[in-house]
Formats: sequence, C-alpha cells, structure tokens
Amino acid sequence: MHKPATLFLILLLFFCAIPSSSYGEASRRIISLAPNITEILFSLGLGDRIIGVTTFCDYPEEARKKPKVGGMWNPSLEAILNLKPDLVAVSTNGNHKEFEERLRSMGIKTYIFTARRLSELPRDLREAGQAFGAGQRAEVLAQEIEATLSRFKKPAPLRKKRVFFIVWPDPLVAAGPGTLIDDVLNLLGAENVAGKARVSYPKYSIEELLRQAPDIIVIGDMREGIQKMSEGLLKRLKSVPAVKNNKVFYIGDDLYRLGPRTPKGIEDLSRLLGDKP
Amino acid sequence: MSSACKHAILDMQGVSFSYTGAAPFVKDLGLTVCEGEFIGLLGANGSGKSTILKLGSGILKPAAGSVSLWGKPLRAYANKDRAKLISYLPQTIDISVPFTVAEVVGMGLYPYDVRPSMTVAEALTLVGLEDKRNSYLSDLSGGEQRRVFIAMTLLQGAGLLLLDEPLANLDIRYQVEIVRLLKQLNKERSISVVIALHDINIALQFEKVVLIQPGSILGVGTPEEILTEERIRHAFGVDVKIIRQPGGKAYISYESNFSRPDKEPGTPVAG
Amino acid sequence: MKLKIFFVIVIFFFSFGLSLFWGPSVINPFNLDETSREILLSIRAPRSVVALLMGMALGASGAVLQGILRNPLADPYVLGISSGASLAAALGILAGASVFGAVTVPLFAFAGAIATGAVVGMMGWNRGVIWPERLLLAGVGLSFLFSALLMLIMSISADEGLRRAILWIFGDLSMSDWTRVPYGLVLVAGGLAIPIVRARALNALVLGDEFAHSLGFSPGKERLLLFVSVGFLTAASVSLGGMIGFIGLLVPHIMRFMVGSDNRYLVPVSALSGGALLCFADLISKSILPPMELPAGIVTAIIGAPYFLFLLRRKNVLSL
Repeated sequence: MHKPATLFLILLLFFCAIPSSSYGEASRRIISLAPNITEILFSLGLGDRIIGVTTFCDYPEEARKKPKVGGMWNPSLEAILNLKPDLVAVSTNGNHKEFEERLRSMGIKTYIFTARRLSELPRDLREAGQAFGAGQRAEVLAQEIEATLSRFKKPAPLRKKRVFFIVWPDPLVAAGPGTLIDDVLNLLGAENVAGKARVSYPKYSIEELLRQAPDIIVIGDMREGIQKMSEGLLKRLKSVPAVKNNKVFYIGDDLYRLGPRTPKGIEDLSRLLGDKP
Repeated sequence: MSSACKHAILDMQGVSFSYTGAAPFVKDLGLTVCEGEFIGLLGANGSGKSTILKLGSGILKPAAGSVSLWGKPLRAYANKDRAKLISYLPQTIDISVPFTVAEVVGMGLYPYDVRPSMTVAEALTLVGLEDKRNSYLSDLSGGEQRRVFIAMTLLQGAGLLLLDEPLANLDIRYQVEIVRLLKQLNKERSISVVIALHDINIALQFEKVVLIQPGSILGVGTPEEILTEERIRHAFGVDVKIIRQPGGKAYISYESNFSRPDKEPGTPVAG
Repeated sequence: MKLKIFFVIVIFFFSFGLSLFWGPSVINPFNLDETSREILLSIRAPRSVVALLMGMALGASGAVLQGILRNPLADPYVLGISSGASLAAALGILAGASVFGAVTVPLFAFAGAIATGAVVGMMGWNRGVIWPERLLLAGVGLSFLFSALLMLIMSISADEGLRRAILWIFGDLSMSDWTRVPYGLVLVAGGLAIPIVRARALNALVLGDEFAHSLGFSPGKERLLLFVSVGFLTAASVSLGGMIGFIGLLVPHIMRFMVGSDNRYLVPVSALSGGALLCFADLISKSILPPMELPAGIVTAIIGAPYFLFLLRRKNVLSL
C-alpha cells in the first residue's frame, strides 16, 4: 500500500520541481494550437521544431506545409498524440481550457500563452522566449513592439477621429471592445465607434451605424471577395461621412492576431488613418 | 344478379380488383343497389366489405368490370357531380383536429357552388344534434360523431350512402340509434343506404342482406334466405345456431367449442 | 370569429408601423431629419417588409403542411426542405459563386429548397398518390442527411467566410433591402393563393383522403398542389432571411386555438400572425441591446414558446 503512494508522491514532486523555464528549451517537437502562437514561434526561430499546427495557421508560408491537427476549437487529440509532441502550445484566447487539461492528463506538456491585449504582448513574448530558450530573439521582438507602442503614445492629430472597423460586411460584424483592433484604435488616439458594444465582435445595427456617422471605415480584407461583398453595405452607408468623403479603407489581416506582425498592422492602420507619428 | 329493379342507383358488374397486382382480391363481383334500398353488407373481417364500398364509390378503380351510377359509368362523372349523388363514409375518420360540429357538417356543402336549400342547423336537427353545433367533434361520443357525419351527408344531398362499419366500436344502444336514424332517413327522404357490418345479429334485423366471403358474394336476399347456418359457417368460419322466435325475430348463438379452432372463413362447406 | 380575424389584421399592421418608428432609436415621422429619413426608408422599411413576408411564408406553410400531412409536428423544416436550402447556400458560398450578384445566395437556397421538395415528394410518392407518412419520414431522413453534410462542410472548412453562412442559416434579417422584396412578394403571393383557393380541399384532406374523395376532391392532386405551395413558401422564407424556427411549427397551433381549424381562416390568419410575430421579434432583437443585434429566431422563440405552452395548459383542446 505504502510503496505506490510514496512513488506517486515522489513523481509528483519531481514533476513540480521542473522549473518552467527549462522544459521549453528541451522541446524539439512542438505543436501550436493557435495561428498567433505559430507566428510567434516562427518569429522566435523555432519553426523547425514545430511539427503540427491548426488549419487556421497560414502565416508564415512554411506554416502552411506543417501537418494539421484540426481547428482551434476542435483539434484532434489523436492527431496530436500521433505526432508525439514534447510540448503543445495553447492560447487562452481561442483554445478550450478543458482541452489543455486533457492534454496534461495524458502526460503531454503544455505551454499557455495568456496575452489577450496589446499591452500584454511584450510580457508574453519575453516569457515565451525564456521558456523556449530563445530569450534574445524574444527580447528584440518585445522591444520592437514597445518602441511602436511608445511612438504612438504621443498625442496624435488623429485624436477624436471616429473609426469603424468592419470584420465582416454581410451580415455586418464590427470589431468591438476587448479586441486587438480596439486596443490599436485607442493607441492611435481614434475613437472606436463600436467600442461601446457589449461583445467583442457584435453583429452591428446598420441604422445605428448610420446615426453614429463614422469619419473613417476600415474593412478587414482577410479573404478574397470581401471587397465585392462590401459593395452592398457601402451603398447602404452612402450618407455616412466616411463613405461620402472616400475614407473607406481595406487593410490586411495583420491586426487580427496578437503576434510579431502586430507592429506592422499598427503602422499600416496609422498610415491609412492619415496619421504621421 | 343483373339489375332486377326499375331504378338501379349503383350497378357493379363483373368487377375485379387487386391491391397487389397479383391474384385478384375481388373477383367478378356483381352487386346492384336499387333506389330506396337499405342493405346490410355482411362479412368477416378482411372479407372485402370496405373494398367493395370503395369500388362502388370510386375511391378504388376496378381492374376489370363496370361500375355505373344512375346508368352512367361512375368514372364519367366529374368529382363534384359524383359527390352530390353518392357519399362514402370511411370506418375511421381522423377527428383529433379541433373541428367543430358545424364546421364538419358544413363540409357537406363543398361540392356545391350554389348553396342548396338545407342548412347546417336543419341537418343537425334531423340527426338530433341541434344543441351540439359549436362543440368540438372530439368532445362527442362515438355515436354522436357518427351522426355528425351522417348530417354532413344530408347537406351533401347524396341519394346513396355507403357506410363502412358505422356501428363498429359503438355499444348496443348507439348501434340501435344509428340504424334507427338511417332507417328513418331511408323512409322519409328515400335515401338508399348500404351499411358494411360484421355483426350477424344486427344483419338478421335487416330486410336485405348481402353476405360476403373473401372476395365474392355468397348470397343476396332476405336474412331468412341468406343467413343460413351453413353460409355463416362458410363466411365466418364458425359454427353458429340460428334461433328464430315466433314473432319473426332471429338471433344466433355461437356453437363452436372455445377450446377447438374453427375453420378458416371461405373454406368450402363440408359435405 | 370576425372580431378575432380583425384583431389579427390590426396586430399585423400595428407591428409593421411600430417596427418603422420604434427601434434602437425612436423616429418621429413628423420631424424627420436627413438621417432619420434614410433610416426609415432604406433600412427599416425594407427590413420590416421582409420580416412580414418571411413570417407570413413561415406561418402559412406550417399550417398547410400540418394539414396535408395530418401531423402536428410538420413544418417546413421537418420536411428537410430548409436544410436542403441551407446546404445549397453553404455550397454556393464555398464555391464563391457570384454569377447573379446580390441574390446569389438566396438563389442557391431557393434552388436547394425546390430540389429537396421534389426529392422528398418523389420519395413520398407511391402508386400514384403522396403518402403522408412516407413523405414525413423521407423529409426527416433527408433533413438529417443534409444537416450532417452541412456540419461536415463546416467542420472541414477553415474558411471563416462560412461564418456568414452560419449566421444566415440561423436566420438573419439585418441585411434586408428592397432587392429582396420583389421575389419575396411573388413567392409569398403565389404560395398563399393556392391554399386560400383550395382551403375546402385542405379541410377535407385533414379528415382523411377517402373522406375528401367522398366530398368530390381528388386527394392526390390536391395534396400535390398544396405541396407545391409549401415549396413556394419555404423557398420564400429561406431565401428572405435564412432559417428561423418556431413560427412554422407553432403559430398555426396558436391560431387553431384562436380561430379554429377551418383552413379558410386558419391559413390567412397564420400567415398574418406569423408575419406580425417575426416583425415584432425582429424589432425586439435589434432594439434590446443597441448597437448590437440578436438573431431574430431567438426572440421569436422566447416570445412565442411560453405563450404556446400557456395555451396548451389552459385550453384543453387537442390540436391536430
């Protein structure tokens, strides 16, 4: 009776004793369960160690060639086990907590990215850099982001411009509070028209949008056909200042993922909004 | 069995019919209903009473033979014109729908573009349901439901009623009530009636009986002529004794042994 | 009875009027500024009309279908017509088809509805007549199949564009504009005309095919004709605003409590109250948490289901 229990206790202590900073370093076979994590890992120079990604991981180009283990919400446990990973990297923003617990219960180590907001990104990057033994590259990346953030922290002429960011035109879905886009708009000193909605990606009332009359409309051009799909919506919004004054812009998907491309997204958006930092 | 009367309403000659397309279920059947007749169509379960009534009303189309209504082929009638002359009431009508009595009786007017003289209230009075006008059908007793549908056929104005087991599932008081009502309509409004039955005792009270064995007619005539012990054994597959009382009333008594199986209906009479 | 029908008509127009002037913000018709006028004419008016038309199609098609199948659980969705429509719509979105411009997706849905209706009809057709039980079972079977295929497509597709398909499948009226009104109007008018003209046959069919035959109707032909009208109505509702449940299934039952089972009244009244309910539910769904919009189907069920359950307890009337 005593022996197994003692053994279990020792094993438990053994696992707990492993410093969190060292297990990532040893990991040679990593699976990423979120597209922004994939991007971060690649930017930390860990691309070779990635042996599996989700179907959503499409950046950088090499990520597309990695074996797929399913979607973000429904990855296949079996596919993950088959790839024999040392470590699975998950995000609190998009992956299910239960799935992470399940992985651990099966003896698979996990690394959890917790950043959801723009301000949390540098910290998350540094932590990940330490954990994966890529501290220097992470530091460079983190500093680059901090530099971008502080550059835009200066009072900008953009202040008080009312911006509406469209995630999907039909039906109309906006970037609301708590999103990276909302953070970036605030950083740039613009007012996110959809910032007072109750959910992150609200299905937005067209008539309310007409009333709120944004100065600038930005449409996330994440997929072919978005521009064509937006035509109908913009026709209905023709009386809005943004449409009247030709201030409707399309922007790439850099701002959809909290990761290494975020600074570029901020720069792009600020340029579109006519801001010169 | 050709038209033996002056005014044959329904005349079926040489009618054959099959549900499966294989061996005919009804074979070379001949049946005539004359004006003002009141006929009991007696047979065991599955002997083809319903099939014969459905062939007579045009729901089923015979594979061979002819069915004529007032001397004209039944199929030559337009649906609505036929509905004004003949009415078939199926054994079971789905009454779970919350239709009111007045709504159902009013359906009798559907074949008409111009309203005929009788009203829903009059029809209900004729069947003694004038106070149930706004009740839901499902709230009525089985006997009352039958009367509602009979009232509907009155509004429909059909001179010939083909009623499929209208007495089934009714207790004896309602059975008598329905037969009395139908007889009254038969006498007073000269409506011809054919009632499919399986109760031999009730058939014994009729003036004219058609006895069915699976797929064909075993005999047509008065109960005294037709309902003999042999024929009943043939049609129903049971041994019965017919007890005739001095006043002319007759009834049957089941003579078979409950512990011994009877012969299948339709087996040729031994000896 | 006359009073109740009048009441339903009043509710119909009242909900239309209310949905024009009330919403995320109140519009005073006597004091219109530029923006309010635009919202009224090009946002609210078409949306309300589309909601009314769609609700009418749902309510009427449920009433007709329950009648011809003699089944209280029948509605356009049980027959699989709607999932067929959704599947076609999702495939259309996946294929990126845009041959017909703005009406591409509704058009795919329409084609899917008609094709499924035809397949279900063929499966239910035997020996020259439609068999209600076969038809219903074929519909349930196809509905499962199409839903599974739809899930399959969604599962294996990483394409976030399907988000639209999903929203649309759950019912969405937010993008309604005047371009949807003409075809909606034609389909609903056609789909309503048939059961109104053939209401007597429908009544007789409810009591049984042989009964209907005895009253001078040809049950097979009448049922086919009425089934075609259901095809029109379902195509209209699915292509106007996707899939919204509840109305098709329960509004006819609620109306049976109110005006009875005579389809001469039941079908038009189910249409009117279905339209009013959807219009009102859509109004609530867009006004309750502005500027956010909720799916209208959620509000429809939240308003309608408790009322239906209340009626079911209170009135001891079997409905179909």
